[in-house]
Amino acid sequence: MKEYIYMPEVRRVFRCTVPDENIRQVFLVDGVLQEEETEKNGIILKRGPEEKGLYMRVQGDHFGETIQIISVRSEDLPGPLEFTNKWELEPGAGIQIIVCDHTLNEHLYQTSRFSKIILGEDACLDILFMQNENIRSHYRLDLIANLDKGSQLDCHVLSFYGGIINNKLHAVMNHPEAVCRMDGLFLADGEQDIKYDISVDHNAPECYSRQLFKGILDNHSRGSFNGAIKVAPGAQKTEAYQANHNLLLTNDAKITTKPQLEIYADDVKCSHGASIGRMDEMGLFYLRSRGISLAEAKMLQQMAFVEDVLAGIRTESIRERLEKMVESRLRGEFKKCSNCTMHCC
Amino acid sequence: MLRIKDLCVSIGEKEILRGINLEIKPGETHAIMGPNGSGKSTLASVLAGRETFTVTGGSATFMGKDLFAMTPEERARLGFFLGFQYPVEIPGLTIVNFMKAAINEQRKYKNLPALSSGEFLKMMREKMAVVEMDPSFVGRGVNVGFSGGEKKRNEIFQMAMLEPMLAILDETDSGLDVDALRVVAQGVNKLKTKENAFVVITHYQRLLNYIIPDIVHVLYKGQIIKTAGKNLALEVENKGYDHFINKK
Repeated sequence: MKEYIYMPEVRRVFRCTVPDENIRQVFLVDGVLQEEETEKNGIILKRGPEEKGLYMRVQGDHFGETIQIISVRSEDLPGPLEFTNKWELEPGAGIQIIVCDHTLNEHLYQTSRFSKIILGEDACLDILFMQNENIRSHYRLDLIANLDKGSQLDCHVLSFYGGIINNKLHAVMNHPEAVCRMDGLFLADGEQDIKYDISVDHNAPECYSRQLFKGILDNHSRGSFNGAIKVAPGAQKTEAYQANHNLLLTNDAKITTKPQLEIYADDVKCSHGASIGRMDEMGLFYLRSRGISLAEAKMLQQMAFVEDVLAGIRTESIRERLEKMVESRLRGEFKKCSNCTMHCC
Repeated sequence: MLRIKDLCVSIGEKEILRGINLEIKPGETHAIMGPNGSGKSTLASVLAGRETFTVTGGSATFMGKDLFAMTPEERARLGFFLGFQYPVEIPGLTIVNFMKAAINEQRKYKNLPALSSGEFLKMMREKMAVVEMDPSFVGRGVNVGFSGGEKKRNEIFQMAMLEPMLAILDETDSGLDVDALRVVAQGVNKLKTKENAFVVITHYQRLLNYIIPDIVHVLYKGQIIKTAGKNLALEVENKGYDHFINKK
């Protein structure tokens, strides 16, 4: 059993049931890593500068291994907090990371999480951000990823809960043959406000990028999506695709979406698209005509809507767990969970 | 089982059904024929509970209950089934998850426990065989990328799963080649019992070579203008609808 340096009570209140046995859990409480510097099997894990944030360096292929970083805010008198997490993968390294951001209670926490990802040649990172704070919290993720030649980044961002959520994701491909997939899902209700700013820079030839972001907005919630793909002169044979689709459940929910492409090379395949829609009445009738209640039909339609984003999560046990979370979030059951204070299920 | 009396239905200002009277008893197969725009699909949709239509007069009882007082799902749980003329595509929802939700809601209504995954999959396999449906379809999105024939097979498959008391098949034959038509019709015939009933809505007599109706109705401008035995379908095929319309 691990002992937590600063917060022995974390283990008591936190009972995450992410089911995979190969998951190593790392706690970050109020921006401070709860373990000593370690170096194990080529994975260096330590605190960032000024004892804040996390620095991780990965050597070698750790395919099938997952590190779950559980980052919680817990102070009783919270002020704004900023810290930087940095992940560096050496050439040929590979690992899967899940970052779970939570608040231990309903205080107004303001947290800015700067995140740097540096992928060496042919490195492969699968990273998933699971954002589940409280209805008053202000959450900001500012991520920049640099991809070296032939490296691959798979990034999922799932926004479940938070008063204001700001996600800024920026991928830079300065070397050829890099692959960058960024997918996201945002579920908003009440007065929640969720923003996504995505930019992808294709500065080298023969790189591939794809973004698929989907939002479901209920009640008076607000959402915005800004996507920009830039293909620099000389970045020939680029493939870049961007899509943002949104489902509005009420007349009062609002989304603005702006997918953009700037292309300065002439031999590329690029596309972008956005849509805003409501539930499909005919689809609901079809489901109801088979005996499925209206509430359940709506649920099935929403789950169907987000299916392709979740399908991109490769580890089956984690995907199944997240599907359940999405379902329970959409059913409005988060607050009823008595398992632990994080309300993930 | 189903009794419709003086049913009048409008969409917006437009009157589509103008006094339909129809009674369907257990064990019967009815065919409703009629030219385009006569109101056949409207009748099917309004009985299933589609909300775009307004019932302006008349009544309908199904299994002794007021049909129009029930939601579409309540009608379905009571044993009403509509085979859609244009089955709806639902990307992202697999047939297996769709049917699991439908079967479990039906069982909940009947106070039966939910089926185990094993029992459910066995049932799926059996019912897919009835319509010669490829088992690989279970994991596909509902009707997504299906051909016309596959969509109709999927309708009959769903009917086989739900075992309704009354099934209305709205132009199940349209868009089908001869082989698909045979498979669909055989599917229907296999599911027929003394307790349940079928209503086959069609333009053509062709389907009725495979599904033999007891009673044939001709619908024209929102009214049933003729009701007779199975030979009426042949008469329609030979003489055309004009013959009956002019006679009226």
